[in-house]
Amino acid sequence: MTETTFPQCRIVTERLLNPETTERLLNHVVSVPGIRRMVLNGPRLPATVTYGPAKGLANPHTMRKTIHVGDQELELQVHVGTILLELENREVIPALQAACKPVFTDYSFYIQEGRFMKTDPSLTDYCKYGPDADKTMIGLADPSSKSRPVILQGNK
Amino acid sequence: MAYKPQYGPGQTQIAENRRKQMDPTHKLEKLRDVSDKDVVLVMGHRAPGSAYPSAHPPLAEQQEPACPIRKLVTPTDGAKAGDRVRYIQFTDSMYNAPCQPYQRSYVESYRFRGIDPGTLSGRQIVECRERDLEKYAKELINTELFDAALTGIRGCTVHGHSLRLDENGMMFDMLQRFVMDKKAGTIKYVKDQVGVPLDAEVKVGKAQDAKWLKAHTTMYHSRIGTGFRDDPEYIEYITRIHELRTKYGFMPKEA
Repeated sequence: MTETTFPQCRIVTERLLNPETTERLLNHVVSVPGIRRMVLNGPRLPATVTYGPAKGLANPHTMRKTIHVGDQELELQVHVGTILLELENREVIPALQAACKPVFTDYSFYIQEGRFMKTDPSLTDYCKYGPDADKTMIGLADPSSKSRPVILQGNK
Repeated sequence: MAYKPQYGPGQTQIAENRRKQMDPTHKLEKLRDVSDKDVVLVMGHRAPGSAYPSAHPPLAEQQEPACPIRKLVTPTDGAKAGDRVRYIQFTDSMYNAPCQPYQRSYVESYRFRGIDPGTLSGRQIVECRERDLEKYAKELINTELFDAALTGIRGCTVHGHSLRLDENGMMFDMLQRFVMDKKAGTIKYVKDQVGVPLDAEVKVGKAQDAKWLKAHTTMYHSRIGTGFRDDPEYIEYITRIHELRTKYGFMPKEA
């Protein structure tokens, strides 16, 4: 479960981001010390068509790519539009702002402070993870998801 | 005095564009030339060049009941031939797309015959006899009602209307039916409207620039175009309709 004392914020951009821009942005963001957890949000890009007469066919999409962030490979599953972050403290936000600025030269972005990730395990989380759930996972992904989080080495 | 239809209220450019599109005497500006074959390919209902499958025998060959309405209404070519009913569906981005779902249904009802339009929040479908549909679809794609980047021909998985555009200025499409050819700067369809890959690409030309879109859109958008609240006449009209509908719900009686 997320500690309620940890502040959260989100980076919202004027446009949905290309994988190259996402990679550049994330590499700037992960260089900022004090980020605990991060979620990439956006409309999903499935590998196969999920609905309609073309159901089951491969769904090649130029926005679904593997990008390199920090020391990890990361396969994008969404067309990134919003980045949710959980921070160590509020002092990280100005540093985040400064890290994002050089990436968005052609269009605008803003950082909102608020509560964007789940703070308590829901009934579904309890069914999936049980009473001794890994607290870092709560609120990061849908409980039915089989994928695991990508762990980037801290730079403290 | 002869009745002159007004088509819609409003004093802004958006309202004027809406009226122009609805007015069947106004000739829509032709922006691209997608061929009959390409329109058939994108819709994906039949192979180009193949015969039209039929749902019933041609009207001339079947016994029709004596009906005064049938005598009054001339059947369309598709109805005469007994074609199947097929559809085309469009998704329009809310970022200044030239047309939008409600507007499309009005436009089609004023301009086309024998159609069944259906409006949903972010998409609009029109159904009619197959050969009529191909003729109408060609007009819907080739004229100012269509923008290559902000209008999508999508039979299913239509999400995109209310999403932010991508960095290339294209509306989101989970199935990426249309892609931008960066070298030529044009947009081409690589899948048909339900997401089945096409054997041959269908080019729909360049996306219109922001200035053209702002001047031709029929969508109110306070941040990137004209705000709905900037049009007092439209507000007055909508308020009146809302008030009358609400009152009618209580079945008012004249005193």
